[in-house]
Amino acid sequence: MALESLHGVERYQHKWNEVQEEAALPEIGNFTNQYQLMMPPLPKAECQVGEYLVDETGRKMKLNYAHGTTTLGFKFKGGAVLAVDSRATSGQYIGSGNVRKIIEISPYLLGTMAGGAADCTYWNRVLAKQCRIYELRNRERISVAAASKLLANMVYQYKGYGLSMGVMVAGWDKKGAGLYYVDSDGNRMPGNVFSVGSGSLYAYGVLDSGYRWDMTDEEAYELGRRAIYHATHRDAYSGGIVRVYHIKEGGWVRISEQDSKDLHYAYAEGKTTTQ
Amino acid sequence: MSILNYNGGCVVAMKGKNCVAIACDLRFGVQAQTISTDFKRVFELGPHLYIGLPGLATDTQTVLQRLQFRIKMYEMREGRRLKPHTLMAMMQNLLYERRFGPYFVEPVIAGLDPNTKEPYICALDLIGCACEPADFVVSGTCSESLYGMCETTWQEDMEPEDLFECISQSLVNAFDRDALSGWGAVVHIIEQDKVTTRTLKCRQD
Repeated sequence: MALESLHGVERYQHKWNEVQEEAALPEIGNFTNQYQLMMPPLPKAECQVGEYLVDETGRKMKLNYAHGTTTLGFKFKGGAVLAVDSRATSGQYIGSGNVRKIIEISPYLLGTMAGGAADCTYWNRVLAKQCRIYELRNRERISVAAASKLLANMVYQYKGYGLSMGVMVAGWDKKGAGLYYVDSDGNRMPGNVFSVGSGSLYAYGVLDSGYRWDMTDEEAYELGRRAIYHATHRDAYSGGIVRVYHIKEGGWVRISEQDSKDLHYAYAEGKTTTQ
Repeated sequence: MSILNYNGGCVVAMKGKNCVAIACDLRFGVQAQTISTDFKRVFELGPHLYIGLPGLATDTQTVLQRLQFRIKMYEMREGRRLKPHTLMAMMQNLLYERRFGPYFVEPVIAGLDPNTKEPYICALDLIGCACEPADFVVSGTCSESLYGMCETTWQEDMEPEDLFECISQSLVNAFDRDALSGWGAVVHIIEQDKVTTRTLKCRQD
């Protein structure tokens, strides 16, 4: 009021009104309300984007929304470990070999990306916003169960619309490490060991044979790294850089980011020396 | 998914100064799964005559066997070595014979004429249409990327060492952008007096 104008300070309220007016424009409808997405001008039954694509012979193409990936997560006595590859493919073309498939929702919550990259990134960011609001309202950190429930409920509203997401939400809360699998079909399940993506079968093979609850931290990192490496080698749609993260009491920590090419030749040397 | 993309693989051949080079990747897969990383698709048909057969792997093997039979019959009847240009004609016939149920291979031929030692390359489509360009030929699942790489790196009259660098870089950087090819590469440099074969150390993902 008077004091503010004396000091030449503009009231925040005026600025916020301007922002809200801008945001009410139809062009940026989802700025204030992230659920307000523009629907295609079609009846609901035809909302599947993939229905309108054809390949070079005219046959209808089933869009393989880069479920071409390998991500894995597991809980053990030292917390939780997440490991991912970094390849993004559209069909057989490798779009990028350097994608960040672990999304940092908050300093103690991580989400992995599998399926449509845009879907995963967008809804994980909306989840980050919701988690922060929860924190501000309730003056305590959100639990991993609640965070994964928020995400599952978000995507359930769009069930049948063609969202493609297979996400693992992992974090640290009062109960210790938490790991949930959430996907765009509406599944949400807790668990100790998960792997998602086209290369998950190869990763499960390595993961299940080496998994123990009482591994040391180093053993856990190496298990995650090895599992992803083997998936990158066998699966055509996985590859690039193998990233490993660890979730412990203080939050998450980035452990390593190694090119799968270097891992291959390092492990190959190991094989020949032991023989 | 096209039948030509079922197994994956690619081949490239380039002309140099009194030499030719032909190279292929080593992946054998079934759609997304990589089965083996030592599946060669470039074969020697004569001392200075090589053919690359990318496409459906079973047809790679069958076409090679049928071709080897025809070549042996030719060399027995004619009493002389096959010329690269004649091999092209033989391939055209072999492929067109199956016009309405084709072999799913798109061959690439590289070699030196046995008498004049002139470099020769050609590419055919799956029903036998051949083209004999002056610079390079590509075939396989990452052919678009290969075209891009070769177009920018190829120069006329390259010496064998430069040709080796050129073809290796073109192949490796092209199949690094393709999910269905890669996992190793083999390069043959065919000169007048010798053939050098090298295996490249590549990304295995």
